Amino acid sequence: MNWSEDARDGAIVASPQGKIDESSAQAFGTSLESAVERAAGESARLVVDCSGIAYMSSRGLRALTLAKRKADGAGVKIMLAAPNEVVREILAISRYDKLFGVTDSVAAALAA
Amino acid sequence: MLVRFWGTRGSLAVAQTAGGIRGKIARALVAAGGRTFSDEAEATTFIDSELDFATAGTYGGATTCIEIEADGDGSYLLCDFGTGAREFGIDAFRRCAAGHARLYNVFMSHLHWDHIGGFPFFGPAFDPGATIVIHSGHPDAEQAFRRQQEEISFPVAFDWLRAKIEFVTLVPGQSYAIGGVEVQVMEQHHSHKSFGYRFTDRNGKTAVFSTDSEHKIESMEGETQVADFFRDADLVICDTMYSLADAVSMKEDWGHSSNIVAIDICHEANARRLALFHHEPVYSDDDIQRMHRESIRYEELTRREEPLEVLCAYDGLEVRL
Repeated sequence: MNWSEDARDGAIVASPQGKIDESSAQAFGTSLESAVERAAGESARLVVDCSGIAYMSSRGLRALTLAKRKADGAGVKIMLAAPNEVVREILAISRYDKLFGVTDSVAAALAA
Repeated sequence: MLVRFWGTRGSLAVAQTAGGIRGKIARALVAAGGRTFSDEAEATTFIDSELDFATAGTYGGATTCIEIEADGDGSYLLCDFGTGAREFGIDAFRRCAAGHARLYNVFMSHLHWDHIGGFPFFGPAFDPGATIVIHSGHPDAEQAFRRQQEEISFPVAFDWLRAKIEFVTLVPGQSYAIGGVEVQVMEQHHSHKSFGYRFTDRNGKTAVFSTDSEHKIESMEGETQVADFFRDADLVICDTMYSLADAVSMKEDWGHSSNIVAIDICHEANARRLALFHHEPVYSDDDIQRMHRESIRYEELTRREEPLEVLCAYDGLEVRL
């Protein structure tokens, strides 16, 4: 799993690449929580650009939950943007689309 | 090895309602599209080939009770005494009349009421020729069984039961030879603890019973040990009561797990089959069927080298390994 970030339009946009499963979930979670801290320090929202995620298992989804708990405590809003069809289905099956705002594009998440 | 499900519901036994049956009949009639059937056999063929399970049948409403028929020492092997134990007991009488040994080796996941509430109605407990050995990781198992039959709760006292009843405490991490099968025990996270069991018969067939086990979000790394317990199993029976979203939010710390986590652990363990189990009592047959279909789809989306067959347990299901 690769990770990159950039700051724009009042948000930190995080871009993980690869699959998020038990082999990469810990690194994913650590990177997410660091991004939450950065967003909190800049009074920004955190947008996770999901377009580079091949799929996400329950470990990845739960890492998102842990990051959201931290974000809620720091007043940071997390949005999930541009999931591919596989990730979109996984978000629906797990009902995680009820826990997180999901947009079709990063632009839509930045504008939300 | 044959695994037979007598009770698959969690928390509370439920029953079909008149309205529920009426809805199934209406859907079946619509699906028939005006066709006529000359006899019940023809109608049964239509049901089996053209109706989905939620319309044609029911997942049932009895609470946890699972039987394992293994090439062992001829004793019955049972997991938990939920309300499904009543029907099992009636069937056991039939088999004992045909010569089956009247020895019951029972393995308790834990002592909550949905897992012991069938015992006062377990007919063989009244058989003076029966021996019932209740294995548990809980040293206070006998206290739980006796207490539910105190007069304030039930009119028949535990001491009135005629069978020889023994309680044996098992230790997690140890391996036992019981009933002609190898039994391993794993401690699980649940209120007052719960225990999972791994059964292996002399032919190497393995079934794992892991219910009422919450996989805590703060200790996901521990799931590697759970995957080791499930390793290469022919059948894993898992608590899949809640969606993952519910399990990490409003139902966190309720002691249960989700279909998504069960599939992931079974993938990691290279298990062959998963039986979704301990169904939420609020769920209708349509809800459970939807959850089953979504679970099958999730397994497809996240599959590794070998497919994991995802079954959905129902009262009466038999799985031959």
